[in-house]
Amino acid sequence: MKFLLGLALKNLSRYKKRTIITAAAIAVGLGIYIFIDAWLLGAEMESERNLIWYESSSARVLNESYWEEKDQLPLKYVIENPEEVTVRLQELKIPAAPRTVFGGELIVREDPFEQDGSMQVKIFSIDPEQDNTVFRFRETIVKGRYLKPGEEGILIGSWLAEDLGAEVGYPLTIVTRTRHGYYQIIDVEIVGIINCPNPSINRGAIFLPLDTADTYLEMQGAVTEINLKFPERSDAEMLAASIEEKLIEDFKGIEILSWKILARDYVAFAAMKQSGTRMILFLVFIIAAVGVSNTMLMAIYERFRELGMMRALGMKDSQVRLTFLFEAGGIGFIGSVFGVMLGCILCLWIVNRGVDYSAMIRDMDIGYRVTGIMRGAWHPKALVIAFFLGIILSVVTAFFPTRRALKMTITDCLRFQ
Amino acid sequence: MIKIDRIKRSYKTGDTVVKALRGVTLTIEQGEFLSIAGPSGSGKTTLLNLIGCIDRADSGEIFINGEAVSAKNKKELALFRRHKLGFIFQTFNLIPVLNAFENVSFPLSLLSFNEKEIRERSMAMLAEVGLEGRVDSRPAKLSGGQQQRVAIARALVKEPQIVLADEPTANLDSKTGKAILKLMEDMNARYNTTFIFSTHDPMVMDYAHRLVQLHDGKIIKDERRKK
Ligand SMILES: Nc1ncnc2c1ncn2[C@@H]1O[C@H](COP(=O)(O)OP(=O)(O)O)[C@@H](O)[C@H]1O
Ligand SMILES: [Mg+2]
Repeated sequence: MKFLLGLALKNLSRYKKRTIITAAAIAVGLGIYIFIDAWLLGAEMESERNLIWYESSSARVLNESYWEEKDQLPLKYVIENPEEVTVRLQELKIPAAPRTVFGGELIVREDPFEQDGSMQVKIFSIDPEQDNTVFRFRETIVKGRYLKPGEEGILIGSWLAEDLGAEVGYPLTIVTRTRHGYYQIIDVEIVGIINCPNPSINRGAIFLPLDTADTYLEMQGAVTEINLKFPERSDAEMLAASIEEKLIEDFKGIEILSWKILARDYVAFAAMKQSGTRMILFLVFIIAAVGVSNTMLMAIYERFRELGMMRALGMKDSQVRLTFLFEAGGIGFIGSVFGVMLGCILCLWIVNRGVDYSAMIRDMDIGYRVTGIMRGAWHPKALVIAFFLGIILSVVTAFFPTRRALKMTITDCLRFQ
Repeated sequence: MIKIDRIKRSYKTGDTVVKALRGVTLTIEQGEFLSIAGPSGSGKTTLLNLIGCIDRADSGEIFINGEAVSAKNKKELALFRRHKLGFIFQTFNLIPVLNAFENVSFPLSLLSFNEKEIRERSMAMLAEVGLEGRVDSRPAKLSGGQQQRVAIARALVKEPQIVLADEPTANLDSKTGKAILKLMEDMNARYNTTFIFSTHDPMVMDYAHRLVQLHDGKIIKDERRKK
């Protein structure tokens, strides 16, 4: 055994060129794998963070009937006493921000706009102070200022503003219905423009102060939702369930949904993206395997006579196989070491510098909640996987030509040119 | 003792069947120094492969020490070769990554010798073939004659019962070839190892103590020459 291992090591150092070429192929494959994996993981993590910080929050308290009709943005399924709920949540050290979300028609008129027009929009009424304990819009104002309580002012997403040709100070009209179904017209002025790392906000969001909305919509203090912020890395689903359990006795008819349910579309998209990624990585793997098996094949074929001699001298098939697999494993090991190193170097760059995609994402919804620079993230598990993958790949590709050689008769091996 | 009884072996390639051995019967005593001679294609290699238990006959039987070769399975044959047989090849077939010493100790590594024994025996055998000065050299650094000496040392180091050598001098010039044959003859005398070597070279045949001539897969002559 020790002798076979020594023989394998000697073969490795003797056939330097082949060892280097094969190991390099493995290293490049693994480097690419680690790099792509880190990049996509980074995008995913940042995307998830931006989703929680700007869109879904960690979890949301809703009227239990709301979710089924969420697409209509109904004002009839509400939380009547948001202050009491918020106080209870604060006792549990959970920051909470009430919001009323409603749909309406946004009307723009020629002068100052270029032409008359209207569009369907979704309006988020937020408590300017409390909202910032859960979301982070105060820091995303690029023009104008943040909302003040009670004003008839709005914040709008930067891409929406660009599409409309809107500037700070421009007037807009929102036509909607109150909680009781009456038409209501709200004349507002743009006080600020938001540009945040979540493209879906930039593309269409409109924010109005909660108390202003309360008056116009005749909500009498009720809100459609209370958004919660959980500590980072907590299990949102479990925490949501446990808080719901604590609140349900005092507040009948509510439910708490975690972001995984709230952003179901995004979660599904991310899962799809992941399986796509796996396909790509699988292809990279196949290509690498073909390349590696080719050099392995050559390496083993050119040693058929040596193999025949060893068998003639009474080496058992299992010993011959072990020698060649040790050798292949050694190549895989070298390739893996360099591959992981290469991957780490590429990761250093993608994690610290990132790639600037802003131009692309503006015009095309690629689903990720990321704008601007996309950074990678370190993924230690991928490094470990890549390491063993390299060794396994190498051993597996050596296995088949070795088996072929062992299936040949010893005399054929010895006659092999 | 080797008893070869009406052995036949033919090869199929596509539609053509080549009858390499057409019924060979031969008895070889322990310690013989025997040459199987004949022109190219007469079946020498085929016969040696069969005696060397790396090929199987179509019919007939080979008995070595009274045991039928055909009765053994693959593993048993490997073990048998490992313990009882030594091989010398026309193309030397040393392991290129190992030096002379390591090549010689290779068969011992397959047997259950400890490292000290392996070292002593291999060094002693290298000295016997006159290569004590080249123990650290890789095959590529050795001449053909030196490589074949290493191969002889490798074949003999485990003190096998039989050494099979298929045209051991065909890749060497005649002077080196003679030296190799002399060495083999010495070893045969010293260890009483049976040597069976094939050749188509009359000079080589002169060294044989017994000359078996093959033609078209049949023995046409079997003569004892000296002893
Ligand atoms: N593996 C093989 N396949 C087909 N024909 C073979 C094979 N080995 C040998 N032969 C044929 O069998 C005959 C005897 O070959 P061989 O035993 O190698 O003779 P020699 O060693 O005396 O030259 C030759 O005609 C040769 O072409
Ligand atoms: Mg031959």
